[in-house]
Amino acid sequence: MKRGLSAPRGLWLVSLPAVAIVVVPVVAVVWRTDWSKFFGSISNDVSRTALGLSLRTSILATVLALVFGTPLAWLLANREFKFKSVVRALCVLPMVLPPVVGGVALLYAFGRRGLVGASLDEWFGIQLAFTQTAAVLAQFFVAAPFFILVMEAAFDQVDRRLVGAARTFGVGPWRAFVTVTLGLVRPSLMAALVLTWARALGEFGATIAFAGNTAGRTQTVPLAVYSQLESGDQDALALSMLMMIVSLGVLIALRGRWISALRRGGQ
Amino acid sequence: MSLDIDCRLLRGKFSLDIQLSVERGSTLAITGENGSGKTTTLDTVAGLLACTDGKISLHGKVLDDSTSGEFVQPELRRVSTVFQGGGLLPHLSVEKNILFGRNTAYKNTAKFEDLIEQFNLGGLMSRKPPTLSGGQRQRVALARAFLAPSDVLLLDEPTTSLDASSRDEVRRAMRVLSANYGGVVILVSHDDTEVAELATQVAKITVSRGDFTSAKLGGLVVK
Repeated sequence: MKRGLSAPRGLWLVSLPAVAIVVVPVVAVVWRTDWSKFFGSISNDVSRTALGLSLRTSILATVLALVFGTPLAWLLANREFKFKSVVRALCVLPMVLPPVVGGVALLYAFGRRGLVGASLDEWFGIQLAFTQTAAVLAQFFVAAPFFILVMEAAFDQVDRRLVGAARTFGVGPWRAFVTVTLGLVRPSLMAALVLTWARALGEFGATIAFAGNTAGRTQTVPLAVYSQLESGDQDALALSMLMMIVSLGVLIALRGRWISALRRGGQ
Repeated sequence: MSLDIDCRLLRGKFSLDIQLSVERGSTLAITGENGSGKTTTLDTVAGLLACTDGKISLHGKVLDDSTSGEFVQPELRRVSTVFQGGGLLPHLSVEKNILFGRNTAYKNTAKFEDLIEQFNLGGLMSRKPPTLSGGQRQRVALARAFLAPSDVLLLDEPTTSLDASSRDEVRRAMRVLSANYGGVVILVSHDDTEVAELATQVAKITVSRGDFTSAKLGGLVVK
């Protein structure tokens, strides 16, 4: 017997099903993957194109989240303005919305007959729906809220006196923002970027509705997995395995200080 | 040539009235109980807060004027501050903290080398503030404040967090530096010895508490 204050007994037994429901499917994929054909499966034309497209679009979506999400998160954390709670709710909305609904909304906004899309087409000849740009926008729509939420919490934790102190040493507001504020939130920023990228990489519902599922054009890895599963193709397993490896890699990279940065919501 | 403050600050149920005029070359000590507005006073001079009503000018140049709407941003005020607890940037090395806002060429100046020696910082340059002791942090903050070219130096309880031996050391360095400083020095301190040693004038904040707390700072006592 361990000496010391006792804890409630049997908690681990009750928590087993939670672990099992995650572990069993992972094991199943590992078990069923035909490892002799693994590299062949993930390097055939369809898979390679899907992988390349997924990487490109998810990185672009993450960069968009960084560029547009950072100022928004800062404003949410630091400024009081009208309808702030509405803006915040709208920012988080895509997290609770079924992604496919988001895709439909995007289609009716930026599609050829959409609210904005019709004018884009008429005035500039720009058609967004069912293009790679649409895939990027769909991923941004679904993943950006993660970035904004994490960064708002991080900016909220920044000691405003330190930013003020920096100003007294001859640094203007922009340089103080870059060297002090962004410097202080760097661990959270890294965590937010990785989390956002991972969410964008796995995006399925919004992409299939807004960008379509054209192999070689808008078919990202999750869409390729879906299509291959439909046609009973063994490559689905290999690609699933690959996604799992990537996701696990992300989590391992996030472990330690980045995860704790997320938990503390700051430095 | 002086720093002239005639300023009222209102924040919720607290008001602070400051009426001071501090001549160049003199050191004013501000005393008063906790929460009476000593740090707030320094913040208005540094430009971190604006007067609700009134005016601050330095050597005739307006820094803050509620009537004309003028407000000089902190980076343009030539006011250096040693913040309570140091106010160092935790993610930057000691060297980067001291040189913060300065051109990198400052590193090769005699002033920089002097300050490093005065405050005994030679071995700490690559360390980050969270790994330093309170006394070390305070010495870094002092070096940073003295390195920046300034007309006003604000010291917010510069030796409060120090143990007795480093307190003496820091005070000695501060005395030498502020004697040669030539600008306006404002010192916030709880320590009578420190006030007696460094200050040429003393002003106390008086507070009357009630539903509405009002504090007044004025009426210099010249030592």
